[in-house]
Amino acid sequence: MRYIVGYTADERGKDAVSLAIALARRQDAELHLVMVMPESSPFNAVYPPERGYEDILSVQLQEWLAEGLALVPDDVTAKAHVISAESQAEGLIHAAETSGAELIVIGASSRGLRRRFSVGSVAGTLLHASPVPVALAPQGYRRLDPITRLTCAVGTRAGADDVIYVAVDSAGRRQLALRLVSLVALDPAPSDETDASAVERAHDHANTRLAEAAGSLAAGGRVSVEVAQGSSVEEAVESLTWDEGEILLVGSSRLAQHSRLFLGATANKMLRALTVPMVVVPRSHTPSTEPREVL
Amino acid sequence: MSTVSNKDNRTGLSSKGLNSGSVGLLGAVVIGVSCIAPAYTLTAALGPTVAEVGVQLPAIFLVGFIPMILVALGYRELNNAMPDAGTSFTWATRAFGPWIGWMGGWGLIAATIIVLSNLAAVAVDFFYLMLAQLTGNPSLADLTLNLPLNIATTLVFVALACWVSYRGMETTKAVQYVLVGFQLLVLGWFAIAAFAHVAGGTAFDATAISPEWFNPFAVESFSAFAAGVSLSIFVYWGWDVTLTMNEETKDPERTPGRAATLTVLVIVVIYITVALATLSYAGVGDGELGAGNEDNQGSIFAVLAGPVMGPFAILMSLTVLSSSAASLQSTFVSPARTLLAMGHYKALPSSYSKISPTFKSPSYATIAAAVAASGFYVVTRIVSENALYDTITALGLMICFYYGITALACVWYFRAVALSSPRAFLLKFLAPLVGGAILLVMFFKTASDSMDPSYGSGSSIGGVGLVFVLGLGVILLGAVLMLVMYRVNPAFFRGETLRKGVASR
Repeated sequence: MRYIVGYTADERGKDAVSLAIALARRQDAELHLVMVMPESSPFNAVYPPERGYEDILSVQLQEWLAEGLALVPDDVTAKAHVISAESQAEGLIHAAETSGAELIVIGASSRGLRRRFSVGSVAGTLLHASPVPVALAPQGYRRLDPITRLTCAVGTRAGADDVIYVAVDSAGRRQLALRLVSLVALDPAPSDETDASAVERAHDHANTRLAEAAGSLAAGGRVSVEVAQGSSVEEAVESLTWDEGEILLVGSSRLAQHSRLFLGATANKMLRALTVPMVVVPRSHTPSTEPREVL
Repeated sequence: MSTVSNKDNRTGLSSKGLNSGSVGLLGAVVIGVSCIAPAYTLTAALGPTVAEVGVQLPAIFLVGFIPMILVALGYRELNNAMPDAGTSFTWATRAFGPWIGWMGGWGLIAATIIVLSNLAAVAVDFFYLMLAQLTGNPSLADLTLNLPLNIATTLVFVALACWVSYRGMETTKAVQYVLVGFQLLVLGWFAIAAFAHVAGGTAFDATAISPEWFNPFAVESFSAFAAGVSLSIFVYWGWDVTLTMNEETKDPERTPGRAATLTVLVIVVIYITVALATLSYAGVGDGELGAGNEDNQGSIFAVLAGPVMGPFAILMSLTVLSSSAASLQSTFVSPARTLLAMGHYKALPSSYSKISPTFKSPSYATIAAAVAASGFYVVTRIVSENALYDTITALGLMICFYYGITALACVWYFRAVALSSPRAFLLKFLAPLVGGAILLVMFFKTASDSMDPSYGSGSSIGGVGLVFVLGLGVILLGAVLMLVMYRVNPAFFRGETLRKGVASR
């Protein structure tokens, strides 16, 4: 397996490398640290003209990549690349497509003092255009040990098969516990009946998924199910307990075009309250007809 | 794509621009015209040039191109032999050693900093003018005369352009085509409308076109001639970008030369047409709309577009505003990269060589350029009666200075190969020698004339003309900073980072 790591020589880049190491360990995955060299269009009409900036920048990128590679421990294979592209997101997608990588790992943002996640412009673009799953490292993520548990957010509507497939497959291979979570945002002014039935429906739904998941999990897999509720999606997420080494998988929105990501409103809200890394899995046109290891 | 691995020590090289070979002849001309930004240069330089040479404006616009092309040929040779982000700084250092090289780099930075502050100021004038035209409330246009408000708005424009440039955002091909097409269209419209007024007897001061207008020898004095030429260097500043394009073009053998020729044809036609239209419509008298009226000279279209184009004057505001804004953003790249190169070679503190990890642009240098441009504008605006006028004159001076040094650096660097072929003799020796000499003569003549307190807009400090104080003050400031830098870190000045050299082929 190959993971593309969107590396930048700042805290955000370190977050991404840390998460990529944590995901790659014991998976025999190869990390590809990618730095994007911004491609300057001649139509930007820079004057007076010069031709040496790219050389200085190129040397700097090589230095930075060497620093990035030095972050990777010896038991994980890592390579580094410089790619010319008009934007960071475009460069990472191009790298993923040409190398046949299974995942793009990035740091969510270097800003956002209060929240661990604040989606920067690169992450924003990737989350709306990537053909492969995108893993977002929260701000300050420095854990290098392997992942300890997977949580998969299960929507209440149909169409989430892809993400469950990925979660089940990954948990099986990694021999990790898998938790299926159904989030229920309750109306702030509840009429008891509807709420009760919403929670019940969520339980039913999660249980159906559980049965399916358990059926497809290899022996030894442990699957649990939880329904998280709160007055908002954020509160529902906060009511869950998270392992330090846990990651969350969510599916992309139904608004997404074929094989492209699109972060839905719910996933966006979850992101705001989340403290662990999140992997967003695109909906593919023909789920599970083309089984491959993703995570 | 280049690759290095954490398991070995190989270093890779980056793959170079996928953009190569993407520019055709039309695209190259668009880039050339966009770098010149004719709507902006005309509104900024037409008035001051008329003040110097009167009706010989067309003649000076034609003559001014000669030193420009001579120097540009040398620039191209240097750019091919030593491609470097420091351009004039690096080349002058290689040819003449660190001291002249440092000052050459400083001249280039100063010229781009001054043009940044002028671009922002022109954009602000037309911004308020456009607000007035949009709302039908003429008093809004006068807001630009309110000193604190004017300074505040200009600094906001500079800060915005700095931010855009820092983030590495660029003007796209489509936008550039629209901006350039729109500029040519509106300038043509202005000229036709002005001639229509002249023909219809509704011109402000209808003046018959005379062949004398094209005679450069009819200019009153050598002082006026020198000042006119250094101003018209500014109006062509940007044209030489077409000559330096190579890999970007679809046909590197022919496109740059053809594009340069075509660009200069387009520009000369539009300059001469607009110059003739302005002179025949408004005359060179100092009446209300006269091109000789000092109050009109800082930004001629701001005054004339309304009477000439009527309700469509808003198009002129829009085209000057949009092209100044686009130039403001792209011009930020240049001083930032020169500063970065100087930091890189330890001619400036190493913080100038910092690159933003996120946007991969020169971070410290871009902000330094914005601070310098803002500071220059605030000082000029406060001490000058006509800041736009005086900055443009000081800018002409500064371009002559760094371009002159660059041209002579070409002559000196290639001295050993000057006689190797007729082509080398012409392009590496004769053209840059004559061009550089002309520019340095213009520089010294204009500099000494500008000591006169009545020079330029007539602003002065301590009995010395403001243009002299601005121009020479900036150069002197550079010399002082150079000495400070020598004390702090002499490595560059000892030739440890960038060696003197001479071309051997």
